[in-house]
Order: sequence, then structure tokens, then C-alpha cells
Amino acid sequence: MEKYSLRKADLNRWIDSMIDRCQVFVPSRIEEEIFFSPVDEAPEMDLLGGTAVLPYLPPKDIVFPQSEILFSYSGKGEETKVEVPEGPKRGLVILGIRSCDTQGIFWLDQFFQENFNDFYYSRRRNKVTLVTIACNQPAKNCFCICCQGGPFLGSESQNFDIQLISFQDGYLVECNSTQGKELIDMRPDIFFPPEAGMEEIRFHLEEESQKKFLPAPTSYMSTAIRRITSNGIPPELWTELGERCFDDGGCSFVCPCCSCFGVGYLANDGKGYHYRYWDSCGYAGFTREVSGHNPREEKGERFKRRFFHKLSYQYLKKDGRIGCVGCGRCITACPGEVTMPLVVERIRKAQEAKYFK
Amino acid sequence: MIKNISTICSFCNTGCGMFVRLNGEEAVGILPNTRHPVNEGRLCKRGWNRYQNLRSENRLSHPLVRKGSKLEEVGWDEALQISKEKISYILSRYGPQAIGVVGSPWLTNEDNYRVSLFCRQVLKSNNLDGSYRFSGAAALTALNETWSGALGSLASIQSLRESPAILVLGRESLRDFSPVGARMIQAYQQGSKLILADPVCLRAEHFYNTFLPFPEEQLAQILKEKKDVAEQIPRLLAQPGSAIVFIADQIKTASSLLSLLSFMSQDQADPHPIPMMIPLSRSPNFRGAWDMGIRPNNGGLTLLEMLDLSNVIKGLLVFGDDLLTHLPSFSLMEKLKKLDFLLVADRFLTDTVQIAHGAFPIPLLAESTGTLTNCEGRVQKLRPVLNTGGESRPLSYLLSSLTRKLGSSLPAHSDKEMRKEISLVIPQYQNIHSESELDSPQGIVLSTLKHPVIPSIPFETREGPQAPGKYHLFIPNTLYAWSRNQMILESPLLRIEYPEDRMALRMNRQDVRELRIRPGEKIKVCSDHGEAQLAVEIDESLPSRTLVLPMHFSTVIENLAGKRKFDHIANYSYCPDLEVTLKKV
Ligand code: SF4
Ligand code: SF4
Repeated sequence: MEKYSLRKADLNRWIDSMIDRCQVFVPSRIEEEIFFSPVDEAPEMDLLGGTAVLPYLPPKDIVFPQSEILFSYSGKGEETKVEVPEGPKRGLVILGIRSCDTQGIFWLDQFFQENFNDFYYSRRRNKVTLVTIACNQPAKNCFCICCQGGPFLGSESQNFDIQLISFQDGYLVECNSTQGKELIDMRPDIFFPPEAGMEEIRFHLEEESQKKFLPAPTSYMSTAIRRITSNGIPPELWTELGERCFDDGGCSFVCPCCSCFGVGYLANDGKGYHYRYWDSCGYAGFTREVSGHNPREEKGERFKRRFFHKLSYQYLKKDGRIGCVGCGRCITACPGEVTMPLVVERIRKAQEAKYFK
Repeated sequence: MIKNISTICSFCNTGCGMFVRLNGEEAVGILPNTRHPVNEGRLCKRGWNRYQNLRSENRLSHPLVRKGSKLEEVGWDEALQISKEKISYILSRYGPQAIGVVGSPWLTNEDNYRVSLFCRQVLKSNNLDGSYRFSGAAALTALNETWSGALGSLASIQSLRESPAILVLGRESLRDFSPVGARMIQAYQQGSKLILADPVCLRAEHFYNTFLPFPEEQLAQILKEKKDVAEQIPRLLAQPGSAIVFIADQIKTASSLLSLLSFMSQDQADPHPIPMMIPLSRSPNFRGAWDMGIRPNNGGLTLLEMLDLSNVIKGLLVFGDDLLTHLPSFSLMEKLKKLDFLLVADRFLTDTVQIAHGAFPIPLLAESTGTLTNCEGRVQKLRPVLNTGGESRPLSYLLSSLTRKLGSSLPAHSDKEMRKEISLVIPQYQNIHSESELDSPQGIVLSTLKHPVIPSIPFETREGPQAPGKYHLFIPNTLYAWSRNQMILESPLLRIEYPEDRMALRMNRQDVRELRIRPGEKIKVCSDHGEAQLAVEIDESLPSRTLVLPMHFSTVIENLAGKRKFDHIANYSYCPDLEVTLKKV
């Protein structure tokens, strides 16, 4: 891993150079809501500091959009024309992504690229360079510390291209990949070797940041993993939690790890297209069979399945991590407030309560 | 490159704030608005997937005119000319009262107001109504009576979470409208009392403190029998900030709602404290259309009468509604098909368009400017997020062209000018001309000008006890109504989420066992009036001896029920619940 220092005042100059070569996404405000949007002017620096400010949606939609056309067709018989829309031509940089969301993208990589290489995902993902910012100060819903999601990415995780660590008027820059190196090499004039003592400050900042999390209810994550894995949760608890679920799908959509999609088509008069769209295991239609039978008709059943996939050992072993990175977005999106921290807490506290007597 | 455009959802009348995400001219996603007071960053599944129907390939893209048995694409001028000739002919031959006009809860306030001016001032007809006559007019009439015609703001969804007590009529009102349900669950967690009254539910979800099996007539019965409950509930709901939440589309009679209100306010100090009222609807501008005058006046006919009174109405002009899917009986559908002239203005190639003589494409709500009034009485502005509608033109264009061709004149107002006029004419809308407030995510909350006056209407109780061997057949307006909504049908995901209901008689597992039949097997249902054979399906939530058949299976229900009952307050007929017997086939 190579390390540099970068002055905050030079960040804009670096981004300017990137824009000439790539499309650069940074968190920006639109009507006070934050989105990852392509930059065309100076980014808002308060969103790129050490304090975590999370956009409503993780940048997963840049590699896996909410909906995308797979192919369109027109004409009939011999005349039929099939068209696959083009992928991105230029490189994509996601700058200002936080540690948790970065881990989310690496989790998506496993799903879309490991056993089967998904053409649509890969043609975007392979063009992406991730410039992560570590969090010196978590936001109020953050619990990445319980999920190997953050607040800093360790050098052992390897899962980033560039990590920026915010100091007072500069960043410590850690570079972990050749793509990352290419971005840095564009501006040798603004990247300097790290000053003496920076390394110590880095670890001090990380430690300080970690202290800001406790006590978090999700520190019971291991209890939850154990109970879910051993099927040690009484069905009543799932029913009760399921009753508070509105099956609106919001939790899946905002989750940096959720990758389920459906494929639909819209057609009329010999022309139309197939497209895929974000789907959710919370939806009844997700598992309903053509016959009308649904193996997970009850909401509690679907709810259980969702958390089994996220937390059971079976998946942990397969994927190397649990399916939650601790960004806390489900807390913002869930109308029933049956969020990851609440579910974990209920599972743990259920020991004393009626279910584990 | 994705553009995020802030607007409001136009699926239902909760009125959630959202961003529609565009890639060029294509809607590719939705995000909730976290600063919007109605939903604060949350949406229901319709809202999250709303972008799908914005890309429909099934739009009505050209004006259509019936030539013989076929609909043919023509230009706007030709379609307008032909329509004008038909309308003129009916007007001169039979007079203005032979024409009926249908406005719509799927049109903006401004467009509904235009429709109402067109009907009353250009056509000079008083026969103006909306499809809510068949589901919802009962509730609207009751609320309108209570607030003496000036229905202002009735509630705030956001402050529901501080309600000390909430009466929920029908559990779908909590389930299917998640921003509303979310606040109710929050209220429960903070110690509020949640009371569910549901006609067909046996097991209430865990956050209900009290569970009343039956609203309307059956509620009366229960309250009569259980004195403690009957005393406790009005007391709970008399606390300031309490609320009654219901799906207005499901309320069958105005008197049922009025008698409930009058029961709640019995023995209360005068003036009656009245709970917040949240009349939910599956259409986005249910309140607004009504407020804009989409209802008959001066002896005009209701939609039911327009179709039912034989031969009075010769021509019907339907603006922004798929009327056919709302008609509750086969005979009314037949009558709609037999009109001399049926004009439809809509967005999709709907069933109603298929039987029309002339059809005009108009923009989706997502392509329109103008305002909608949500269930709280909040007026919110739509932003035109895209323009994909082929040859579609705004309804204002259609109406002003017809007006001109008919040799009449109406000032051609922009939406902004229209709002100015509405603010002068409709008292509770007096504040809505402030454009800067309309542009904020809060919108404008209607003024409450009148104090509610609750007429004293006793509960109608069920006649006698249930006869031995009989089953009570409920005919509710269920969630499945969504499966007829064209916006659902045009969304691949939602089409799966709201499947077409299978025509089946739902019953309790115990009853199925006693009858020695299997699910899926057919059974004969006999009423005083007729009989029908229906497949049986188990519904775990139903109490014993209670059967459910959703109301949209109108032909079968018509067979069993025969004559519909008439609600004189709401001027509307409905199918009462039935006592039936079951026989093995
Ligand atoms: S969850 Fe952790 S990594 Fe993500 S924003 Fe919060 S502190 Fe940063
Ligand atoms: S509750 Fe109604 S307004 Fe809100 S997102 Fe759902 S359909 Fe749209």
C-alpha cells in the first residue's frame, strides 16, 4: 500500500483533472436531500470531511441501477431488431463513498461476479474506482463497527482503491490498487509523501472514532448470528416483527448489500423491452409461484428469510462477512421501524423475555 | 446521467413526497423525500415502484374515433370535430340534461374545476359526478354534512404519532398506506390506544389494544352488548389529538360514519371534540375532485342515475377515469356500452377507452402541473417530471377546444390563474394562491372554517340474531381493487404484488372442515334472491360462519343480492351484506 498526503485545498484540482478523463460521482445536495451525483462544479466540502454524512441511497445504483434495460426489440420475423443498450464509455469514480458503502460494493461483487459474471453489472463495475473517506465521526444511525463495515478500512481488508483520512486541512491518502494509483499519478504536483507522525495520528483518529459507537445495540450481533444459525428463534418473534413490516421494500432498496432483482417487460405492437429492476424478498410476489401458491405467504416468514440471509453462519462462511455493513439506512427507510439494530436487540433480549423462558 | 426531480406520489391520497429519478426521458427510479411532512423518508411499495408505470408502452398515444366496430387513430382536429357534432346533436335533439359528465379523482384540482365549469357553463348540464359515487361518496357526503359543506383540513398524518387513541376502521388502512401506518405504530409504542374495528378479521396484529370485530351495523351490535367497551371508546377518542383512520372507499353508507361520529360524541360537552379524521383513498385526488364540485347540483343526476335511469342520458363525457372498472354491476356496464355517445379522455388504453366512441390522450399526473388535495386536506403541487405521452395534450386544451367549437366561451386560464379563481370561489381553498408556499414540500393546508356539527343518527343494528345454519357473507371493497388500477397493471413488479383476486369464497378453516370440502372445491351459495357456485379458499383471519367475497366480482354478487340498498344521504346504492346458506355441489 502506498501513502501520500493531500491538502484539502487541492482536492478540487484533483477532481478537475479526473473530470477530464472520467465521470466523477460525489455526494451533493439537491433540495437539501443528498445524492451521489456526477460533479460538474466544486463539490460541497462538508460532505467530504471526516464527519459521516450519508446520502439516502448508497452508491450501489451506480453499478446496479434501480432499473435498467437489458435489451429492446422492434420489428417482426426476419426484420426483428434487438438492441442492447451501451454501457459506460468513460471511467467512473465514486468519490466520498464511506467505508460501509465500499464494503457493500465488494459484497455485490461477490454476488454479480464470483460464480457467474453478470454482463450488465461488470461492464459498469470494472470501470469504477472507489475513493473512500474514513469516518472520524459516525452519524447517529451508524453501527458499522459491529459489522466489519467501518469506520476505517483496515489495510488487511484490501477492499478499497483509495482511502482518504481527513486531518484538519488535509487528507492522508492510502492507495491500494493500480486503478487508484492511476488517479494519483494524474497529479504528481499535489500528492506528497506523508509527513512524519501522520501514521500515529491516523491510528489515534481511528481509535477515537471507534469509541464514539458504544454502546450500540448491534454489538449483540454475535448473539443474533448464533441464534439465527441454530434456528433458536421462536416463530412468534418473527410473526411479531413481521407484523410491523409494511412490505414496502425500502430496506432492500437502501441496503448497500441487497442485490435481488426481478425482470419484467413492457411491450406493445411488436416493440418493447425487457428490463430488470430492484426487487425485495419482503414482497409477497418475490416468492409466489405461478400456481398462486406462496411458500412464504406470511410476512413473518419472509422477514425471517431476510434476516437468515443477512446473518446466518451459512452465508457468513460462504461470503466471508455478514450481509449488513452497518450504515443504518434501514433506520431511515423502514416505516415499521423493524430495522437491523431493532431485530438484533429483540433477538438478544428475547432471552429474558417470554420466548426463551 | 441521473436527474432527481422532486414531486409527489400520485398513486393514493396519502400524498407522499418523492424524487422521480430520470435518465434522459426515462423514469428509472424513485426515492422518498426525507423532508416531506407526510412520509419523512418512507414510502409504500407502490411509491417505491412508481417509476415503472411511467414507462408504460400501453399509453393512449393518439386520439381515437370509432368507425364502425373499430377505433381508428385520427388527428386531434378530426376527433374534436366529430365529438363536437355528436355533442351538438344530443344537445339540440334532447337538451342539455341528456348529457352527463364525469370528473375524476385522478385529475388535478385545476382540471376538475375546468371540467365542472365546462359541464355547468358550456353544456349547461347539472349531471356531473365522479366514479367515487360507487366507492367513497358515502364517506365524503358524511364528512361534508358534518362540516356544513366546507370540508377543510381534518388531520395531520405527522401528528398521528402523538395521538392518545386511534380508531382504525379496517386493518388495510394501517397496512396499505405505510406512512399513515408508520405513525400509528409509533403512537402505539408511545402508549397510545389503538382500536381496530374490522369486518372480517379474527386475529388482530399485536399493536392493537382493543379489537372490535365489526364496524357499521355489527359494531353497533357489539357496542350494545358490551357496555364497558361502549363507554370506554368514546371516552378514549374524546381526548384531544385522537383520530379515526379509515379507507373512505370502503365506507358503504353515509349514515354508518355519521352514526359512529354521533356515538363518539354522545354525552360530550358542547361543542363536541371531534377526533382527527383521515379518509384514505386509493385515488390520489379524491377530496380535491369533490371539493372542486365534481358532484351533481340543482337536481342533476348522480353517476348511478345517469346510467341507471333508462334513456335519459344519451351522451357521457368521462375525463381521466377508467369508469368501466368502477361499475358495481353487470347491468350498469351494459348500459355504459349502449350510450349513443361515450367520450373518454385518459392516459392508457383502458377498458373504457376500448368501448368509447371518441378518445383523447391526456398527460399522466406525472406529466402535469396542477395540485392534488391529500387525505389531510393538504394541497400539493405536482411537477411535470417527464413528457412521453405521444400526441397527448392537456385536458385544458381539450375542454377549451370543445368549448370554442360549441360556439361558447370560457376564459382559458393557466393552472396558476385557475388556482386564483378557486381561492376566490371555494372558501376553504382561500389560501391556495400563494405560489411560494405551494412550491415548498409542505404544500398548503386547507383552512378549517366551520365547526363540525354532528347530526344525531342512531346506529342501525342488525335485524335479529343470525339464523341457525346461515352464514354471514361480507362483500367488502378489498385491497384487490388495486389489481384493476391501470397504474398497477402497467408496473411489472406491482402487477405481481397485487395479483388479480381469484374468484373464491373465503372462509374459516373450521367451517371448511365441517362442510367436508377441500379448498379449491366448489360450493353452492344460496341467498333469498339467487344462487351461485364458487370455489372455496381458506382465510385464517376469518371468524367462523363469516364468508367474504370481494365486491368486484359484481356479476356473481348481483346474482346473489338482487336489489341493491339505497343510501338516501349519499344518494347512492350499495350491496348490503347477505345471509346465505351453503350446499355441497
Ligand atoms: S456506518 Fe460507519 S462507515 Fe458508514 S458512514 Fe457510519 S461511521 Fe462511516
Ligand atoms: S402511501 Fe400512497 S402516496 Fe405514499 S407512496 Fe404509497 S401510494 Fe404513494
